[in-house]
Order: sequence, then C-alpha cells, then structure tokens
Amino acid sequence: MERTVSRGAILRALLKKELIAYSRDKLYLFLTLLTLVFVLAVFWIMPDSVDETITLAVSPPVETLIAEGIETFRAMGVPEEQLAEIAETDLAEESEGVDLVNFDDVAEMTAVIEGSLEAWRTDAGDIVLRDIEAGDPRPADARRLSVDIGIAFPEGFIADVVGGTERVTVTVYSDAAVPAEIENAMTSFVREAAYQLAGRDLPVTMPDDDTIVLGVDRAGDQVSYRDKLVPMLAFMILLIETFSMASLISVEVLQRTVTAVLVTPARIADVLAAKSIFGTGMALAQGLVVLALVGAFTAENWWLLLITMLLGSMMFNGVAMIVGSAGKDFLGQLFYAMAFTVPLILPAFSVLWPGSAALWVQAIPTFPVLDALVGITIYDAGWTDVWRSFGFALAWVAVLYGAGLFTLKRKVESL
Amino acid sequence: MTQPAIKVEDLSFSYGDIEAVKNVSFEVMPGEILGFLGPNGAGKSTTIKVLTGQMRPKSGRAEILGRETGRDDPEIQAQIGVCFEEKNLYLNMSGLENLNFFASLYGIKDPDAMEVLRRVGLADRAKDRVHSYSKGMRQRMMISRAFINKPTVLFLDEPTDGLDPVTSAQIRTTIQEEADRGAAVLLTTHDMFEADQLSDRVAFINEGEIVALDTAENLKLKYGERSVKVRLRDGEGVREEHIPLDEPGSSARIAELASSPDLMTIHTEEATLEAIFIKLTGRGLE
Repeated sequence: MERTVSRGAILRALLKKELIAYSRDKLYLFLTLLTLVFVLAVFWIMPDSVDETITLAVSPPVETLIAEGIETFRAMGVPEEQLAEIAETDLAEESEGVDLVNFDDVAEMTAVIEGSLEAWRTDAGDIVLRDIEAGDPRPADARRLSVDIGIAFPEGFIADVVGGTERVTVTVYSDAAVPAEIENAMTSFVREAAYQLAGRDLPVTMPDDDTIVLGVDRAGDQVSYRDKLVPMLAFMILLIETFSMASLISVEVLQRTVTAVLVTPARIADVLAAKSIFGTGMALAQGLVVLALVGAFTAENWWLLLITMLLGSMMFNGVAMIVGSAGKDFLGQLFYAMAFTVPLILPAFSVLWPGSAALWVQAIPTFPVLDALVGITIYDAGWTDVWRSFGFALAWVAVLYGAGLFTLKRKVESL
Repeated sequence: MTQPAIKVEDLSFSYGDIEAVKNVSFEVMPGEILGFLGPNGAGKSTTIKVLTGQMRPKSGRAEILGRETGRDDPEIQAQIGVCFEEKNLYLNMSGLENLNFFASLYGIKDPDAMEVLRRVGLADRAKDRVHSYSKGMRQRMMISRAFINKPTVLFLDEPTDGLDPVTSAQIRTTIQEEADRGAAVLLTTHDMFEADQLSDRVAFINEGEIVALDTAENLKLKYGERSVKVRLRDGEGVREEHIPLDEPGSSARIAELASSPDLMTIHTEEATLEAIFIKLTGRGLE
C-alpha cells in the first residue's frame, strides 16, 4: 500500500492541533484575556498628559531674599524705578512649572523633605506644618504638599553675590528617592534665579549622571505615562504568550503525545516548525492587536512596528521552547518561565522610570527590541533611527531561537 | 514466497552501560501475531521503540516491509500503527478529534474515525474529551489510534495491561480482526493467557535475550510435561495423583485408577506458558 502525505499537509494538521490545544487550555486562555483587559485598562487609566509642575521648597522665603536684595541695591545707588521692578519680581510665576513653598527655617524645610514633618497649604495660601508624632491634627481646608527637594540660601547671600564675595554656597536638599533629572532641574532653576538676580553663576554641585535614558532626551517635552506604557503593554502580552506556549510544549513533552506524533510520517522538523510558527504567530497577533487598540500604528510606522513585534515574538517564543522543555511540571515550568522572562522584561520598566536603568540593561536581549519599540511608538523614529536596534535584536533572536529549537529537539529525542 | 513484514537480525540496544536488548532475531509474517512474552524490564518495549524508529539500534538490523527502520522514513511510518504502553493521548481533544488529527498526519483525507471508534466501543463517547474517559476507555482509544491508518504492521505494547476482563476480551477481538485483515502484529505482554490465546507464535524474552521462539503448542510440547491429574476419595478427604504421560507404566496406572470405586475426577494437564517461562529462565512473568 503506497501512501504519501505532503509536509504542508502535516504542518497544517499540527497547526490545527496546536490551535485546538491552545483554545482549550483554560488557564492560559484566561490569563491571556485577563492580561489583554488589564493592560488596556491600565493604559486608558494612565494620564495622557504630563504634569511638569515641581514643588520646590525655599528658605528663607523668596520675599525675604528680594527685600534683602532691594536694600543691597539701594545702598549701591540703584534707581528707585529699577528697585520697584525688582520688588515686583515673582519668581514662581516666571519659573513655569515650579511651585514654590517658602520656609522661614531651614531645619523645618529639611524635616519636611525627609518626611518627619508634613507641609500643608491652606486655601488662603498659607503653609501649615504638621508634626504627626506630636499628635498635630490634620489642617482643615488644606492640601498636603509633596516636597521632595529644597534650596537653602545663606543669610545675606544677594549682598554677598553682588558684593563679589568669592564663595557663596547654596545647598540643595533632596529626598533619596528623587531622580537625578529632578535634581538637575532644580540646580538649573537656582542658576536661572541667580542670573536673574545677580547675573552670576552659583557654586551648586551637579550630580554625576551615569544612568541611561531610553529614547531621546526631551527636557521640557516629556512623554506621558500612557505613551510610556505602550512598549510595556506589548511586552506584557509577549510575556503571557511565553507562559502559554511553554505550557503547551511542556504538556506535549510530559504526556509524550509528541512521541505518538513522531511514529507517524511527521518528522521532528515538522513538530518544531509547527511550534515555532504557532507560538510566534500567536504572540505577534496579540501584540499587534494591543498596539492597534492603543493607537500605536501610523501610516509611517506600521511596518517598523511589525518588524519589531516579529523580532520580539520570535525572541520570546525561543524562550518558551527552552522553558517548555525544561519544566517537569507546572511549578517547574513557572520557575523556569520566571527565571527567563523577568530579566527580559526589565528594559520595559526602565521606560516607565527613566534613570532607573543602568548600563547593564543594554546587555539584556530584549533591550534592542524595546529600544526600537520606544523609538517608534514614542519618538516617531524611522528606519535610520532603528536599524541598528534591529540588527542587535536579530542577533539575539538567532541566539535564543536557536537555543530554543536545540533544547526542544534534544528533549523530544530523549523521550 | 511472502516477504516478512518485520525482520530483525542480531539487534542490540543499550541504555548507557546497560544492555537492554542483546542480539535479538525474529521475523513476523503478514497476518501473523507474534507474542513477545516477558517480565517488566525484559526488553520488550525497547525492541518496539527501535523497530518504530524512536531509537536507533546499537548494532544489528531491523527491517519493516523490507526497509531498514529509522525515525525519518515517512513511507515506513505511513504503514505502521503503534499502541504505546503509556496512554499518550491529547486529553483536551475529543476521541474523534484525536483520530482525525492522526489520520491527517497519515494523509488520510476522509478517515472513517467513527467506524474505528465503533469497533472499540467508543462511538457513543466520540465527541467527549479524552480527559473524561476511564482508564479502559483510554486504552481502547489507544488501540483505535493505532488502527486509524489501516496499518500493515502493528506494534502493540501491553495493550490490555490493567484492564478488566471484559475490556481485555474486546481489545483481543479487535487485534485478531486486524491480523485476519493481513496486518503483521508484534504484541508485547506479560500476560501468558493473552499471549497463548492471541499469538500464532510466542517469543520468550528475558534480560534482553530471546530464550525461546515457537508456537505456543510446540513450546508446550517441547518444554512442558504432559500429565493426568486424578482425584480420589480418601476416607473423609480427597487425594490427588499426578501421572506423567511420558513415563513408562503410566497407561497401566491410569487404567487402574480409572476403575477404582474411589475415583472422583480425571483431567489431562498441559504445561502453561508461564510454567515453561519459569523453567527456561528461572523467574516468573510478573
């Protein structure tokens, strides 16, 4: 009896079987739907605009500084008209995006910054300090201020500056959690204020910045959290698909159904091809759906996004093959999945909190994929901006996909 | 002259330093059922794995339908059906979906999966998912999967292991039907009753070696003892006497007891395959 079957027919049969198995894996179907709903909900909840206002504490109060300055300038013979102009200077108004909070006492200011005192602003504009440990009541008709950074000017500093004193030290206090970017912004603010008042730079030390900022430096043109979340959403979908695909592979290996397949005309290459196509296809399709739902596609970037997501899908599918081959049960698979995927998703977090990523993040295989995704979705990057990232991503795909195929092949052969 | 469907010559296989199959040779003709009888770990399943291309032999030669076995020979694999010892079915698919999937791997466009399920008594559960099947139903499902491509060569690894007598009898009937259709069947079992009832020939395998291979009848004649068991009244009790038929004077002794007024029953006895296996290997089948 002569019977032949084409490789295409075998591949179609295997893909159909994968689809049935996938659609009936209730746990991962639930996780996939939950993730889709969750990430989309988070995306729409996130603000789509940026609040660039920074609350800045100052001691002594700005009015005191200006009054001191006027006296100094008057002694120098500055005409009264000009002194009147200085008196009308409103630093807070002129420094857009800065909410000034005046403190008479530097100790109180530092206590607020470090959190041992609370600062509240009443509807009338007055600042009320509340000592919780002392049992102070919550101030009525007031809102609490989040003061993370403050500047302490020395007594008589304008006179010293104008008078040519060599060292005038201005101290910047900041909470440990304040990102370096904010510290830099405050330093710039002080410099601006100094130039405005005295036409002279102040000795404020700039912190060294050895961190990586993904994408383009958009000082004054910040990206909203909603926009920053787009790459994160795409990565979350890829992550869940990694779990799903690893589960499908693991079940096939543990129940040895793949052995039954391999005594038919199907070859191991057919099985690997089916797993590759199905896993990559499912991850890619869902990733593209999410990107479409959040409006990431444009007429210019759709093909770049397609390439980026294809590379990401292949990368995560390679990981799924390794995880699916390694896990001996659900918990084992979960362990391997976490061990592999958590490091891979780290670059996505660094987009949400710029400055939190370090140089080593660049060595993570998903970094070039994410870098391209950030560039395309947030900064309208074109081919010339992302081709290098594509190159690195392709190299990592070759490594991870190759490792996945090799691991799965070895596992199946050993059954 | 008809060509053997399975031909094995000096086949050996090792798991590391452990020799699982040692220089095994046998043939199975179309329409013949060869029973591979041996205890667990004797090398039965390993032999099937090598023959079905799941593992490559260390030495020797194995042919299916005149072609050397190997994993990547779709023409051979299209002709074989395998029932594994472990029930490796797709649990989230129905019985019908399982069969249709495997039929599509063989390139069968219009598989009569329902008819195959009917033969094993699963037609009424065809659309239920396999995870809802009982152990016996899953075993019948395994058998039906092995039949879906109307194979020329069938490898059945412990097909009735752990099943109730009724299900076992059903499965034996379907296996015999496949052999009657012309399929060569290699049946591994440690059930001497099954081997005796189904097999045209029986191979005793122990520690990777075939220690005897012949028809069950010839094995019994060659290695067994023919005897008569006579039961007699003995006062208040019963006395049994075994008389070997091949010893001198046995006929006279049987005639004497047959005429005794104390005679209760008289039966001829033949050796069981298990007894012969123990005699040849010094160990039982369990």
